[in-house]
Amino acid sequence: MKTAHEVRPGNVIMFEGSPWVVQKTETTRSGRNAAIVKLKLKNLLLNSGTETTFKGEDKIDDIILDRLDCTYSYFADPMYVFMDAEYNQYDVEAENLGDAAAYIVDGMEETCQVTFYDGKAISVEMPTTIVREVIYTEPSARGDTSGKVMKPATITGGGTISVADFVKVGDKIEIDTRTGEFKKRV
Amino acid sequence: MSTSSNASHWDIFCTVVDNYGDIGVTWRLAKQLVNEYHIPIILWVDDLNSFSHILPTLNPKLVSQCFNGVIINHWTTPLAVPYLPGKVLIEAFACELPDEVKLQLATLHKTAPQAVPLWLNLEYLSAEDWVDGCHGLPSMQVSGIKKYFYFPGFTPKTGGLICERELFAERDAWQQDPANKLQLFESLGLKDIQAQDSVFSIFSYETDSLPALCELWQARAKNDAKIHALLPKGRSLNSLQHLLPCPVDALMPGQQIKLGDLTLHILPMTDQQGFDRLLWSCDVNIVRGEDSFLRAQWAAKPFIWHIYPQEDDYHLIKLEAFIRLYCDNLAPDIADTWSKLNFAFSQGQQSAVKTHWQNLNPVSLPLLQHAKEWPIDAINAADLATRLVQFVKKS
Repeated sequence: MKTAHEVRPGNVIMFEGSPWVVQKTETTRSGRNAAIVKLKLKNLLLNSGTETTFKGEDKIDDIILDRLDCTYSYFADPMYVFMDAEYNQYDVEAENLGDAAAYIVDGMEETCQVTFYDGKAISVEMPTTIVREVIYTEPSARGDTSGKVMKPATITGGGTISVADFVKVGDKIEIDTRTGEFKKRV
Repeated sequence: MSTSSNASHWDIFCTVVDNYGDIGVTWRLAKQLVNEYHIPIILWVDDLNSFSHILPTLNPKLVSQCFNGVIINHWTTPLAVPYLPGKVLIEAFACELPDEVKLQLATLHKTAPQAVPLWLNLEYLSAEDWVDGCHGLPSMQVSGIKKYFYFPGFTPKTGGLICERELFAERDAWQQDPANKLQLFESLGLKDIQAQDSVFSIFSYETDSLPALCELWQARAKNDAKIHALLPKGRSLNSLQHLLPCPVDALMPGQQIKLGDLTLHILPMTDQQGFDRLLWSCDVNIVRGEDSFLRAQWAAKPFIWHIYPQEDDYHLIKLEAFIRLYCDNLAPDIADTWSKLNFAFSQGQQSAVKTHWQNLNPVSLPLLQHAKEWPIDAINAADLATRLVQFVKKS
């Protein structure tokens, strides 16, 4: 069991006898600091999609599937190809990467976890923390250094995340892949 | 009194966290569902003492009683009154249902799935964009039952806002005759308030903003009409302790504290109808939380929202989201000042609160006109109870 807070893209959860791969998680704050977690899911048996919402502390029945540490090799549209330590290659559908696709870049060295269901690679879980370079963001608007004023930034790989106002083009930043949040400049 | 089995009834479970907010919302909803839709409602509340402050005739010692057609059960652990599944089950504001209720639902799901009530989580009100995308989504529970998230909100894609059918008509009738407000003040034991005086109600959390405003009102009142600030015993007064002749606990309803031409009045507790009328009768209302915040909007009067503080100042994001909606049709200069006043108040910025209050002149005609038009825009053709009933029908 996991709490909804702990679920992250790439996890597989069980509901009504079917396994669902988590493609996207979105955590927002409700009143009195309570969290709401919205999940985008894909049914691994029926290939259908759905969206669902949980309270942050709700328990979710996750299933442990076979996993392998792999590194990203290349993109062969529409498949991302990963490779394990023994040079076996695994294709993962781009759609199944969900939010993780925004963090995939050529030459990345981070080790990802590829999850298998019925012998087929179905999803990829990124490391909790990654470092990416900011390739575009507007200059600081207000000179705020508190870190609370946020602005959009495009990172290597093409994804867009909210970063602190003081972050500049060329800065390397740490990102929490579970939430897509900017952590700090490194 | 015991709860009878009635498959058509709805259960609403509410835990009282901050005295009058959660119970205020659920009590209004329960009454409206009974009055306007004739739905039998059982309201389960864990703190009847707090509830009795807004429903003075409630007996906190009884496990079950009935008011306004709503059966009110004391939510004890374990439950003193057995839970009998109805048509709908609402857990209000992310409260955790009693174990025996969850167990019954799980058992029903296995043995008679058609008898499982529609399970809803009624969430907090927010004007943030993400609410549109989360409203009405099912939540897959481990038991196999789907629970639906129901989000109140300001757009057509949300669950709407609590507003009784006749509320606006009653308010308009009340506000048309100035004698009504003077009679109300008198009935509340508030003395020496004249028709031309400025009257502000204050129902906030503790904040440095209040002493700043009082200082401003004291100075300003010397040249203008008298100013009266109406405050219930509670958190607002904690911020004004240095202006009071005795500890807050020793203050009596109806007591006046004169500070030059500013008079602080201690309000008695009142029921929800009385609170609505108070908001209708004041020139500006300072409110907090969710229930009073919404009722201040329905009052069609200028207001300041002292939003419930959250970690990492997340409440300021919620405040900004509401301000964006509220100011959509407001003249830019007024919108800017009203926005700054609200932010400054919620952050306890004394100097800024005074500056923006003076710049805004909250009793000015354009802001008042906007306050009158806003409720019609905000309600978006259907209130929360109406949309809730439609949601249940479709589910």
